[in-house]
Amino acid sequence: MLTIDTLRKDVLGCYGNKNNLTPFLDSLQPKCIKFTNAQSTGPYTQASFPGILTSSYYLEYGRQKKCSPKRTLVSEVLKKSGITTAAFHSNPYLCGYFGWNRGWDIFYDSMQDEVSDKIPYIKGDGINHKVDQWLSSYSKNNNYSPFFLWTHYMDVHEPYIPTREYLNKVDPSINLSEDEMLNLFKEVILKRDVSDKKTVKLLKKLYDAGVRETDNYVKEFFKILEKYGVLKDSVVIITNDHGDEFDEHNGLSHDGKMYSELISSPLIIYFNDRTQGKTCDNLVSNIDISPTILYLFGLEPLGAFKGHSFLPLEKYPQKGVFGEAINKTSNQEKETDKPIYFYQENDLKIIYREADQSWEMYNLNEDPQELNNLINISDKSKDMKKKIMSQIKQITI
Amino acid sequence: MSKETKERNVELIEKSKEVVRETFKKYELAKCAITWTGGKDSTTNLWIVRQVCVEENIPLPQVITIDEGDAFPEITDFLVTISKKWHIDLKWLCNFDMLKCCQSHLGNDIQVKDLDERNQAELKRIEFEFKSFPFEAESYAGNHLMKTVVLNKFLEQSKTELLFMALRRDEQAARKEDEYFTHHEAGYLMPEHTRVSPILHFTERDIWDNTHLHNLPYCPLYKIGYRSLGARSSSNPGVVSVPAWEQDLENVPERAGRRQDKEKAMERLRKLGYM
Repeated sequence: MLTIDTLRKDVLGCYGNKNNLTPFLDSLQPKCIKFTNAQSTGPYTQASFPGILTSSYYLEYGRQKKCSPKRTLVSEVLKKSGITTAAFHSNPYLCGYFGWNRGWDIFYDSMQDEVSDKIPYIKGDGINHKVDQWLSSYSKNNNYSPFFLWTHYMDVHEPYIPTREYLNKVDPSINLSEDEMLNLFKEVILKRDVSDKKTVKLLKKLYDAGVRETDNYVKEFFKILEKYGVLKDSVVIITNDHGDEFDEHNGLSHDGKMYSELISSPLIIYFNDRTQGKTCDNLVSNIDISPTILYLFGLEPLGAFKGHSFLPLEKYPQKGVFGEAINKTSNQEKETDKPIYFYQENDLKIIYREADQSWEMYNLNEDPQELNNLINISDKSKDMKKKIMSQIKQITI
Repeated sequence: MSKETKERNVELIEKSKEVVRETFKKYELAKCAITWTGGKDSTTNLWIVRQVCVEENIPLPQVITIDEGDAFPEITDFLVTISKKWHIDLKWLCNFDMLKCCQSHLGNDIQVKDLDERNQAELKRIEFEFKSFPFEAESYAGNHLMKTVVLNKFLEQSKTELLFMALRRDEQAARKEDEYFTHHEAGYLMPEHTRVSPILHFTERDIWDNTHLHNLPYCPLYKIGYRSLGARSSSNPGVVSVPAWEQDLENVPERAGRRQDKEKAMERLRKLGYM
């Protein structure tokens, strides 16, 4: 599984982007199932990763910063079944201290390595190097057991300081130094200052360059799988944890909001022996990823997992998707911030904010930008309110 | 166990005993105290000091343990059981005043004004200005009161000059150059005293080899995957259900899951735009 932090769905060429930011990912399409209607369970890493790795919702076990010992990680299930589990990432929220190292035979969270002052994570090439080292020794043993490899890239995440080579591919006219890019991060992104539209556009270009750079790391990753002869026997799930905002709703970065720029996920599953790409319109959630992983390894579904395997596609039950997070409205989460929830069914998405008990509802088909709040006009509001409330009651302790 | 391991073990223990004997030459028994958390390192340490005492025919110094209010029940049980078995008069230190103010409930807020004079003064000493703080392992103020203040009070009241600790060099890169004896000047936070770490040269692997070789008791949590045991809410198992000694001690950090990583993680999160 390859997860790319902060990757918006709409930057991928295979999802309609015209700026050629993801040539490698696009090139994989003939061998992929592409999900057009996948949603995350949360708009930022802490809220979303419980969905991805434990098939449970963020606030189910209280407002803990750590992965509750009551959750079951997919790595724990796989390890019990004799499958080797390896994780390589550089996101501090997912490090051993926060409890995400459970169930992994190999867990590299980069906390023991030095990172640069401006870029506080190991870049994609560094992560790939660790993967290469591990696979090199692991695959030497001809009878190695099946493995689940999770790799995560941070290179799209703010502060947007893309490598010059990739910035040139996106917009060669941009001539900012690293310090200037860092300054934009401090003065504009951290302050969520959307007052200057030109600056927001510039930030988006820096972001796009990060995407282009990450696409290359994905390419290198596939080369590594091929080098050690494992690609031919592998399935690769590629997705994000959440997106990023560029003033679609008056903000930047990824706060506690449930709009599509944060929640809509790219989700692609690569099968080496496919010859024809397939598109799937099922409304799915990242909570379904772990069950899918179990299915792919031929394991029985786990009761503790809330989701349902995407595969086989025809057997996926039609159901709504849900997500929850803390409604932080600045870069700092405060103790007084309250939860925010969303529920989507077909084309309708309802959002409830506990802080002011406010409601929003959007028809994503007619109003993909989520600008027309239908909550007071639609005859479906009452029903959707009931549905989201029942989800909230089911889950919150 | 291999011949080399056994030979190494003999050397390691002999070195530790040398340090302990040196300590007893320099310090009065009555002014010494042994810290014991119930963890694998401090249990090994205690076992070695005990041996020297038996060999030299001297009584064991006071053994103390600090209850930070968030202990694993398994560790508390272990301390009770083994202190009985080894006939140790274990002194339990605890900041009871603080526990009273939060009804011993983790997560509860403690109002500074409810604390006793000493505790309030201690908070002033660390320049803590807020009116309240949550009772949890990560809280800086809470930690200071539950751990540091309690230890200081003990040092003052018992006139202890020497503390036996169970630190190991391989626990942190920064400890590589550490000496067995470290002298702590009278600081604004604690009275003057010396600390000695007789097992400084043991590695994590050595501790487990020693434990198995000599059949030392250990807390059952290690068997189900915990490699490092601190406060319950800040300790995570390494590989669940795999005994600590069977995990990859050399490549996976021992404390991945403890407060030491927290500062690093927080700093990186700040640079990523959070907090």
